[in-house]
Amino acid sequence: MDGLSSNLRRRPLQVAVAGLLFEVGFDNAEKMAHETLIEMTQSIICQVGLSARSYCELSGRTEPVIGDVIIALVNMGLPLDSIETHAKRSGRTVLPAPVPSTQPKQLSILQAGVKQSHPSHIPIHLPQFPDPHAYIRTPTHKQPVTEYEAIREKSASQKRDTERALTRFVAKTSDTHSLFLTEDTIFPLVACKPHMPPYLKALLPSDQVFEFEDEFSIPSCPTRGGPGPSRKARSDAEGEDDENLEELKENTEEGKGGETDSIDNPYLRPVKQPRKKKPKT
Amino acid sequence: MQGPYRMKKEKTADKSRPFKLAHQIVSLTGINIQRQSIIGFVELTIVPLRDTLRNIKLNAKQCRIYRVIINDAFEAPFQYFDPFLDICQGDTKQRSLDAFSTAHLAAALQTDPDNNAGELVISIPPEASHLVGEGRALRLGIEFSSEQPQGGVHFVIPNCEGTLSERGAHMFTYGHENSSRLWFPCVDSFAEPCTWRLEFTVDENMTAVSCGDLIEVGYTPDMRRKTYHYLLNTPTSAPNIALAVGPFEIFVDPYMHEVTLFCLPQLMPLLKVSARYMHEAFEFYEETLANRYPYSCYKQVFVDEADQDISAYATMSIVSTNLLHSMAIIDQTYVTRKAMAQAIAEQFFGCFISMQNWSDTWLPKGISTYLSSLYAKKCFGNNEYREWIQTELQEVVRYEEQFGGIVLDPSQAPAPVPSSTASPAAPPRPPDPGFYFPVRNLHTMSPKYLEVLRKKAHLVMRMLEHRIGQELLLQVFNKQLSLASNAVQEKIGSGLWSHMLISTNVFAKAIFTVTGKDMAVFIDQWVRTGGHAKFHLSFVFNRKRYTVELEIRQDATQQRGIRKYVGPLLVTIQELDGTFSHTLQVEGTVAKADITCHSKSRRNKKKKIPLCTGEEVDMDLSAMDADSPVLWLRLDPDMTLLRSTFIEQPDYQWQYQLRHERDVTAQMEAISALERYPTPASRLALTDTIENEQAYYKVRCRAAHCLTKVANAMVANWAGPPAMLAIFRKLFGSFSCPHIVRQNNFTNLQHYFLQKTIPVAMAGLRNTHGICPPEVIRFLLDLFKYNDNSKNRYSDNYYRASLVEALGATVTPVISVVQQGTAITAESVSSDTKLVLEEITRCLNLEKLLPCYKFTVSVACLKAIRKLQKFGHLPSNPSLFRSYAEYGQFIDVRLAALEALVDFTKVDGRWPDMEFLLDLAENDPEPSVRHQLIRMLVENPPFERSHKHRLDKEELVERLWNLINCMLSHDSRLRCNFVDLYYVLYGTRRPLCLPIPELAAILNIKHERHASPMQDKEVKPVLPLIPFVSASSDTEPAHVTSGAKRKVGSPLRETEVLTDDNHLGLVTVEIVAGDEGSKINVKEPSLNGGNLAPASKVRVLESLKEEPGNLSVTAAATPITANPVLPTVVPVTLAGNPVPPILPPGMNLGPPHPEGQVKSEYFSDNSQSLPGILGMPGPVGFEPGMFRAKESDGESGHSKHHRTDSMSKLKKKKKDKKKHKHKHKHRRDHKHGKEKDKDKDKDKRDLSKLKIKEETLSSGSSSPSPSASVSHEFSF
Repeated sequence: MDGLSSNLRRRPLQVAVAGLLFEVGFDNAEKMAHETLIEMTQSIICQVGLSARSYCELSGRTEPVIGDVIIALVNMGLPLDSIETHAKRSGRTVLPAPVPSTQPKQLSILQAGVKQSHPSHIPIHLPQFPDPHAYIRTPTHKQPVTEYEAIREKSASQKRDTERALTRFVAKTSDTHSLFLTEDTIFPLVACKPHMPPYLKALLPSDQVFEFEDEFSIPSCPTRGGPGPSRKARSDAEGEDDENLEELKENTEEGKGGETDSIDNPYLRPVKQPRKKKPKT
Repeated sequence: MQGPYRMKKEKTADKSRPFKLAHQIVSLTGINIQRQSIIGFVELTIVPLRDTLRNIKLNAKQCRIYRVIINDAFEAPFQYFDPFLDICQGDTKQRSLDAFSTAHLAAALQTDPDNNAGELVISIPPEASHLVGEGRALRLGIEFSSEQPQGGVHFVIPNCEGTLSERGAHMFTYGHENSSRLWFPCVDSFAEPCTWRLEFTVDENMTAVSCGDLIEVGYTPDMRRKTYHYLLNTPTSAPNIALAVGPFEIFVDPYMHEVTLFCLPQLMPLLKVSARYMHEAFEFYEETLANRYPYSCYKQVFVDEADQDISAYATMSIVSTNLLHSMAIIDQTYVTRKAMAQAIAEQFFGCFISMQNWSDTWLPKGISTYLSSLYAKKCFGNNEYREWIQTELQEVVRYEEQFGGIVLDPSQAPAPVPSSTASPAAPPRPPDPGFYFPVRNLHTMSPKYLEVLRKKAHLVMRMLEHRIGQELLLQVFNKQLSLASNAVQEKIGSGLWSHMLISTNVFAKAIFTVTGKDMAVFIDQWVRTGGHAKFHLSFVFNRKRYTVELEIRQDATQQRGIRKYVGPLLVTIQELDGTFSHTLQVEGTVAKADITCHSKSRRNKKKKIPLCTGEEVDMDLSAMDADSPVLWLRLDPDMTLLRSTFIEQPDYQWQYQLRHERDVTAQMEAISALERYPTPASRLALTDTIENEQAYYKVRCRAAHCLTKVANAMVANWAGPPAMLAIFRKLFGSFSCPHIVRQNNFTNLQHYFLQKTIPVAMAGLRNTHGICPPEVIRFLLDLFKYNDNSKNRYSDNYYRASLVEALGATVTPVISVVQQGTAITAESVSSDTKLVLEEITRCLNLEKLLPCYKFTVSVACLKAIRKLQKFGHLPSNPSLFRSYAEYGQFIDVRLAALEALVDFTKVDGRWPDMEFLLDLAENDPEPSVRHQLIRMLVENPPFERSHKHRLDKEELVERLWNLINCMLSHDSRLRCNFVDLYYVLYGTRRPLCLPIPELAAILNIKHERHASPMQDKEVKPVLPLIPFVSASSDTEPAHVTSGAKRKVGSPLRETEVLTDDNHLGLVTVEIVAGDEGSKINVKEPSLNGGNLAPASKVRVLESLKEEPGNLSVTAAATPITANPVLPTVVPVTLAGNPVPPILPPGMNLGPPHPEGQVKSEYFSDNSQSLPGILGMPGPVGFEPGMFRAKESDGESGHSKHHRTDSMSKLKKKKKDKKKHKHKHKHRRDHKHGKEKDKDKDKDKRDLSKLKIKEETLSSGSSSPSPSASVSHEFSF
C-alpha cells in the first residue's frame, strides 16, 4: 500500500523534475541523478509543508494560511520573489493531470450490503448512511443447512467416517486376519479373540444403549404367593386381581424390602447352620 | 422286537422288570467343578415281584462303581458291561451299515431297561437271599464316582481370571432321551416312576438346582460347603431327573412365587425380561387342561453350552442361556417364548405323565407340542399357528419322502384291513420302512428322525383334534392328568402308579371312554403305519353340464414314505357365489367326482363375492374363464391329513387364490405355485400382496422372495426399476427424499420383518447378464450408509445382519479377467467386489469393538465371505473360519464358521481340512457344536456317494467306523449323527473305497473249511487292515492316532471286554468289574454260589427264565454255558421269541470245565480293589492323582483285545505285552505290508505259547461258526 501510494505521488514529481530539466536544456538524465533531484524536491516540499503546519499550529489554527507558508519559506531561506517570475516564465512545460484510476474500485471492495438511501426528511447533502452491516445484525457464519436429505447424508458420512477411522485404527494396532493369501492392508480384518465366557458379550451387546423406562414394572401379588395347591384357580378372580395389582404396584415401589420378605421361596431362605448330627451321605 | 408286543399284548416296559422301584435316593457328596468329578451314592428301594429274584439289572454308564450293598448289610457282587463300547463285537471286516444296524440294535437292546436289561448286573448274594421276597422292599445302595465324564454331565469352566463363581463356572446334566445312567446308576426307563430324595453337596457360593421341592439347605460342618436337600414325592422316572450347579443368580417370578428362575451372573436383567410372560403359559395350560400344574414348584435354569435349547425334567427345565434377551431384541423373543412354553408343557406331558414304552414317545412329545402350539396360537395368532402347522407338515413330508415313512408307534402292527372294504385287502406293508438305522430303539435312531417324529406326532395329535374336537381331546388329557394326580397320592403298593404312564393303547382307551368313539382305525392308520398320502388334483370345467370334473390321483403310493389313503377328503371350491366344501370318498388310486357348480348368477352384475370367512369382496374377474364360475380349488384346506398335495389349476386361479383367499396356508401355496408362472399378472399379484397391509407378514415376505424368482424369469421383458425397489421406497423411504431410508423405527413389527426381507429378496435379482443389477447394489450400499438406529427402541442387529446377507446374495460367480493361476489380491478384485468387501470388513471389524446381540452381524459377514470365496472373488481359504470356529467364540459365530468350513471342505477341502472337522466333531468341549457340526456335514457332505473324490479314502472310513463302533458309548445322539454321516457318504453297503477283498473272499472260504480253532491264526494276516481274529483290534488304528484324545474318557478304563471269538457280532459280553482298584471279591461268591456265572451266562439265564415255557434252562444248567457265549441266545433275549437255544451243529463246544475256573477268568486279574471298598465305609473323596495312575492303565485296558480277554487265563502282563504287539503290528500293517508275514509268524508264536490255556477256555467259542449266518439272518 505504501509503495503504491508513494509511487503515485512521486509520479507527478518525476514528471515535474523531468520537465524542469528539459526546460533548462537537458535532453537526457541519468536515473540516479533524476532520482536524486526528485528526492531533493520532495524533501523541500515536505519540509515546507511541515514548517507551514507547525507555524499554523503555533498560531492556534488548524489549517495553514498563506502566511504560514511564506514564513516557512523564509525560514528555510528560500527567496520568495523569484517564485512569481518562475511561475510566470515563458515556455514552461505543462504537466498532464494525474489519472485517478484505482480509487473507485477500492470502494466497491469495502461495500457491504446495499447502502440505504436517505429518507425524504433528510437533506441530500447530509452524509450517506454507512454500510448496512454497521447498524444491522449480520450473521458471521453460514446459515446451517436445514434440508433433510443433506442432514442425513452428513450424519451418515460422519458416522461412517468415525467408524472407519476407529476400525482402521484398531486394525492397525492389533492382530489382523487377511482375506487374501498375502498380507492385506486394504481390507484388514481385526483378528477375533476368544473371550470367556463367550455368552456375556453376545447377550449383553454394546453396540447400542437403550434406556428402558419401566415399560414393564413387575407387579407383585403377595396374595398369589405360596405353593401351588394353595393357589386359587386363576380365571375366577381375574378382574379383582387386576385391580389389586394396580394398587399393589405403588406399594411395591415404596417398600421393596418388605415385599421380598413375603415371598416364600425356598431358595430365598437362609442357609441352615450345620447340625450336630452330620447329615448322612 | 415285533415279537414281544405282538405275542403278548400285555407285556409293556413297566412290567418287564422282575421288580418295581419304589424310592430312590441320589446323594452326590462330592461335586467338584474344577476337577469335573462327582462322587456319590444312590440307594434304590426295590420291591421284588417274585421270590426268586437273583439278579437285578440297572443302568449305569461311565460311573466307576465302588460297591453295591443290600440293606446296608450285604455286599453284593456286580458285573458291568457296555456293548456300546464295541458295537460290532469283533466283526471287524464288514464296514457296512447293514451289518452295523443289526449289531447296533442288539447292543441297544442289551442295555435297554425296558427289555429288562442294563449295564450293571447285581447279583444278590446267597447270604442275602433271605431278604428277597415278593413285595418286601429291598434297599440297594451303590457307591460310585465319575471323573471327567464324557457325556451326561457337562461342566462349563470358562478359562479366564477369577474364582470359579466369578467366572460363572457351572455344571448341569443333559442327555439324549433316557440318559440319566450317564451320571448315576438307576433304572433308566421312562416307565419306572418312583419317589426321590436328592442331596447335593456343593461349594458355598454355588446353588444346586434339582427336581422336587427344596427342603432345606444346610452348611457342612466345615462351613465351606452347602448341602441341598430335595424331595420329590411325585413318582418320577429316572430320565426326568436332572441337576444344575452353578453360581446362579436367583429370581422369583413376581406373579407366581413357586416359579424360580436361575441365571448366570450378570444376566439378571435379561432374565427378568425374558421370563416376563412365563406365568401366562402356566395360566394358559391350567385353564386349557382344567387341571392344576402337577408339581408344587417349577425351576428354570439358564446354563451356557446347553445341549439343546430346552430340556424338561420333573419340576425343572434346563434352558440354554442363549435364549435370554433384552427388551430391545425382537426376533429372539418369539423363539424364547415358544421354547419356554414348550418346556412348561412338557412338565405336564413328558415329566409328570411319562410313557409306558419307549415306543409311546410320540404321545408325550405330540401332546406337549400340541399344547404349546395352542399357547403359541393364543400368543402369536392363528396365522402364525397355521403357517407353523404347514411348515411342519411340509417338513415331515420331505423327510418321509427322502428316508421313509415314520411309524409313530412301531411296537404293534396295525390291525389288518377289514375285508368289508370294497378294495382288495392290501398286503400289510412291511413293518420296517427301510431306514438305514434301527427304528426300534431311541438310542439308535437318527436325531433327525426323532426331530421329525416329534413334528409328526404333533400333527397327528392335531388330526385327532379334528376328528374328536378340541374340547373332547382336552378332556382326554384332563382325564389322564386327573388319574395321574390321584395316583400320586397313593403308595406304590396300590399299583396305581402305572396311571402316570401313557401308552398308545391307554390313550386310545381313554379317548373311547371320554368320547365314546373308537379311534382304533385312526391309530392304526396314522400311528401304527408310517408314511403320508400324496394327492394330485386336476379338474376340468364342463360347460354343458356346469360341473367341475375332479380327478384325484394317488400315483406315487409305491414311492418311499408315501402310502395310499382311503377315506374322506375335503375339497373346497371357491365359486363366484361363495365357498363350497365337498367331502369326497377317496378309495382307489384314482378318484373322480363331478361337482355341480352353484353359481348361476350373472357375472356381469358386479356382485360382491362371498368368501369362506363370510366377508364379501370385489374382484376383478376379467382374467378368468368367462364361462366358469370357479375361482380356485383347495384340497384338504385344514390340513387334517398327513399329505402333500399337488393341485393343477391355471395361473389366474392361483392369482385369485393369493389375492383373495383368507387362509395363509392357501396364500403360501399360491405363492409357491406362482413361481411357475412368470407373467406380468403374477408379478402384479405378488406386488400387491407385498404391499397389502392386511396380509400376514410371512406371506408378504414369502411373496417378496417369489417375486425375485418371477422377475428373474421375466428379465428379458422387465421394464422399469428393479422389482420391489418402489415398494421399499414407499414403505421405508423418507418423506422428503424417498431414496434415503427412514430412520429405523421397528414398532410396526410387520414392517420390520418386511424391511429385513425385501433387501435380501432384491439382492437375488439378476439382469440379462446374470449379475445383480448395479442399481440394486447401490441401493443396498445406501441402506448401509443411511442406516440410523439412534431413535429406535429396538436393536437393529438382525436388520443389519440381513443387509449383510443381502450383500452376500448379490454375489455372482466371477467372470475372470485375471488369467487363471494368478493369486487374487486386494488390488485385483473388481470394483463392485471392493465395495461389498469394504462394507463387510467394516461391519465385521466393528463387531469386535461394539458387538451386537448374539453377533448376528458377524455371522452374516462370515457367510457372505464364504460366498465371495466360493464364487471366486476371494481366495478360498479356511484359516479365517478356523479362527472363528475356535472354542471361546460365541456359539452362533462358531457354527457359522463351521458351516463355511464344511462348505469349503466340500469344494476345496483336503484331508487335513476333513481331519480338522472330524477332530472338532469328536472332541469339542461343547456338545451342541459336535452335534450340529455333524448335522452340517450330513446336510452338505464333503463328497457325493460313489463319486470319486480325494477325501473318499480308507482312512476316513476307518475313522468314522471306529467312531460309530466304539468311541461314542457316552453319547448315543452323536453316534447316530455319525451313522447318518456314514450313510450319506457310503450308503448302507460296504464303502467302495475299501479294497474289495478277494482277500475277504479267501477268508470266507477258509472260514468254511477250517473248523479248528487254529483257523484264526491262519486267517489273521490275510485281512489287510484289521486282522479278523483280533476281535477288538479294529479299534486300534484309531487308538494309535487318537489315543491321546480318549484320555478324557470315562474312568471305567479297566474294561474287561469279553467276547466270543467267533465273530458273531451279536453275542457279546463285556464285563467291567470296576477297574483295577476295585476289589470286588467275586471269586468267592462265585465259587460258592453255583448260580454265579459270567455275565453272559447270567444274562442268558435271566432272559431264559422269562420264557419258562420254552426253555428249561435254570441256574443249574449253567455249566452248559461254559462256552462263554451262546450265539443263539441273543435272539431269545432280544425278541423273547421261543427260539430254542440249541447250539448249531457246527458249533464246537469246548470241553466243559469247572465253573469256578471260568469265573476266576473273568474276575481274577481286573477286579482289583477300588479305593475305599475293602474295609472302608465308602468313598472318601478325591485325592490328587487318585485316578491318574489308572488312567494310563485304563487307556490300555480300553483298547484291550477281545480275544485276549477271552483268553484271560493269561497273566495280565502278558496280555499287555501282547496288546502292544498288536499295536505294532497294526502300525506295520498300514505302513509296511510286506512285514505282514513276519507278524503272522510272531502272532503264531504268541498264540502257540498260549495255546493250551486257550483250548480249555474258549475252544468252543473260537470254533468256526456256520451259526454266524443264523444269527445274522435273524431280523427284528
